[in-house]
Amino acid sequence: MEVIVILLPLALLLGLFFIGAFIWSARKGQYDDLETPRFRMLLDDQKINTSNPTSIKDGK
Amino acid sequence: MITCIHCDENVLTAFFNEADVERKNPFCCQGCLTVHHVIHQKGLASYYEIKNQAGLYKRRSPVELKSLEFKYLDQAEFLEDFSHLNPEGKRVMEFYLEGIHCLACLWLIEKIPEFLNSVQTSKLDLERSVVTVILKDRGLFSDVARELNNLGYRPHPLKKNQEAADFKIKEERASLIRIGVAGAAAGNIMIYAVSLYGGAGAEFSYLFNNLTVIFAIPVLTYSAFPFYQTAWYALRNRTLSIDIPISIALIVGAIMGIYNMLTGVPENYFDSLTALVFLLLLSRYFLHRIQEKGLSATDLQYFYQSESILVKNEMTGLFQEVHSRFLKVGDEIKIKAGEFIPVDGEILRGHSYVNNSLLTGESAPIKVDIGARVFSGTQNLNDELIIRADKVQRDTRLGHILKNVENGWAHRSQIVTIANRVSKYFTAAVFILSIILFIKLSLSGSFEHALEQAITLLIVTCPCALALAIPLTFTRSLSRASQQGIIIKSDEVLEKLAKVKNVFLDKTGTLTYGQLKVINFRQHGVCNTSLIDIIFSLENRSHHPVAKALIHFVLPSQPLQLKVEDYQERVGHGVEGRINGDLFKINRQGVFQNHKLLATFEVEDVLRPDSIQALRGLQNQGLEIKVLSGDKQSIVTKIVTEAGLSPYSAVSEIGPEEKADLIHQTSHSVMVGDGANDAIALGKADVGVAVLGAMDISLRAADVYLTTPGLVPVERLVVLSKETMKVIRRNLILSILYNSLSVGAAFSGLINPLVAAIIMPLSSLTVLISTLIGTKKMRSLWKS
Repeated sequence: MEVIVILLPLALLLGLFFIGAFIWSARKGQYDDLETPRFRMLLDDQKINTSNPTSIKDGK
Repeated sequence: MITCIHCDENVLTAFFNEADVERKNPFCCQGCLTVHHVIHQKGLASYYEIKNQAGLYKRRSPVELKSLEFKYLDQAEFLEDFSHLNPEGKRVMEFYLEGIHCLACLWLIEKIPEFLNSVQTSKLDLERSVVTVILKDRGLFSDVARELNNLGYRPHPLKKNQEAADFKIKEERASLIRIGVAGAAAGNIMIYAVSLYGGAGAEFSYLFNNLTVIFAIPVLTYSAFPFYQTAWYALRNRTLSIDIPISIALIVGAIMGIYNMLTGVPENYFDSLTALVFLLLLSRYFLHRIQEKGLSATDLQYFYQSESILVKNEMTGLFQEVHSRFLKVGDEIKIKAGEFIPVDGEILRGHSYVNNSLLTGESAPIKVDIGARVFSGTQNLNDELIIRADKVQRDTRLGHILKNVENGWAHRSQIVTIANRVSKYFTAAVFILSIILFIKLSLSGSFEHALEQAITLLIVTCPCALALAIPLTFTRSLSRASQQGIIIKSDEVLEKLAKVKNVFLDKTGTLTYGQLKVINFRQHGVCNTSLIDIIFSLENRSHHPVAKALIHFVLPSQPLQLKVEDYQERVGHGVEGRINGDLFKINRQGVFQNHKLLATFEVEDVLRPDSIQALRGLQNQGLEIKVLSGDKQSIVTKIVTEAGLSPYSAVSEIGPEEKADLIHQTSHSVMVGDGANDAIALGKADVGVAVLGAMDISLRAADVYLTTPGLVPVERLVVLSKETMKVIRRNLILSILYNSLSVGAAFSGLINPLVAAIIMPLSSLTVLISTLIGTKKMRSLWKS
């Protein structure tokens, strides 16, 4: 049971770390909008090509 | 069926681009075509790929193009009011966007900085349809707004009280952190509590107990702070609150736990108490969020009408755009056909018809000429008008109504909610029982044991199940309602609705369509051109209600647009024009070809077909129905009898104040209406319901906003509220039952932290299941 001397503080530290991380992210406003980010992650980061506009005819 | 490739709307007569010779890309209207073109020109064609892959997020409709300059967005006084500087010194403004509907919109809007150099970032909140634009140093908001408008999203700048908004965000983040801390601590405490109950060894039990106390301290102080606060306010104002018994249990539990730790007794109630705090905070957070959603939805509508007004510049004599908030007395303004008039004033030039129905309830349009007075909130129907403003903003007739409404809000009686009412008996009963238990035990045994048992009773009888179940029930019903397009501003509304006995209805727009419809169309003569095409081509350009009714009437037969020459619309004489050389004329008397009668028709504001059934439904709920209208008696009586009500239930030709008085004298009343003339009444009624298309002012006065037309939602709303209260009463009984059980256990000395740790969650679980079952029944109710 001596191992508990290591495990217990470790568990507590881990817990504290995650509480800290949660507080940090909440303060940063990561939970302000719960709706849009789940859509935003689906979009690719490709740049738009403004130099080469497509014409109406090949638009589908 | 052909669908528009831009907005997916079904189309009868498709538009095609001139370059599109193969006719592959159909559009429903010129607006969608133009936007499609703009999107391709900017190299944003991926929009359509994303759109076709993503599901719909919100309902959408064809683009209604309107070329606006948005010059007013760059005026210094406007920027002062509507934008702010972020910490990096960049200008930030928020716009509400019309027409946001899916993932592709998000993509398009957030791509703006890539093709508009003056924009640093644009970020969209899909749920609220609000985009936050941050400009680079020399950027102009008018450029951004024009770009948004060209893409088919009409922007409405949002005025923001930055301090209030910052405060709200801070509060919301703080409540999340409170929940997070409580959850984490409760989880950790549970680990140690389980090993304590499982019989941890002596050296561990001491350590574990101390750890639970350390974890409980932030929960009982920081996280539970809102409970203490509400309880304290309630005590100070001598009112009731369910937070009082909760606070007592928490405080007493904390004192006992710390005392036990100091005296070396490994026993406390922190596992139950912290879990309780966590669950209570969570349920309240959900309720708060759904209410916020309802509130902001109605807030946003406020910015809809006429914000950019053409005002004559004294120096140059030219008309330029100004935001309606900055109109002054003496300004000469130009109002185009179809626009709303933003001021009270006198007509300097032009003659037209004005629709007063929102302000007075009168359904017939009124003819106005030079010198006539027009009022804010009315709609100009036919022709351009030049108006000199003599009253603006709060001094207008509409402004007075608004003031009245706001006063009404302030004086409105607050109801004591069922949760708070019950807490009175709860607290009293628990205190009396604890004292009895204390006296009983101290007479028969040790003083210390008696005190401990009495305290235990205070803790285990805390009305947690109730405090948890009530917000959750309301959350479920409010979200159920919002799925059905009923936005409810607060949970109290449901409580009030369940007691309602009298329903007052506005006629125009509520019971009826609020628009003229063509009835009794009769053809008398023949003509070589299709009559349908003639009517469509001539009436297309007019904003007059009769013209709209006719267009609506012919549209299902897929009319064609013919070439019209010498088109003329004269106030009081209808429209006329030459088609294929023949002179056609349409007015109230009928359709004429070269003065020969072709057809006659009548127009009328007809009853919604679903009104009859909805009214019967309301009567079956035991409600008394009355129809209030500013319209003439003959019209009102006719509609009322058609709706299957007795003619005595109609009250006609009454003004806004009389409506309000009538409702004020009646208790347990609901008012359903839309116009500004209903606004005071909506505010005075116990529950005000604003229907679809209502004016901003009545939205503010109302407690409930319906986003689907007709009266059916009102009937559902009443049913929903009754069901909700039924579930709440059942939960009440269940939790009282549990508490009696724990009182019995305490009296027979059976209670200890382990028993509490079983009883308390179990009682919460029972009421939660009861809530879920109850609201599920509500759902099946909606379907029928």
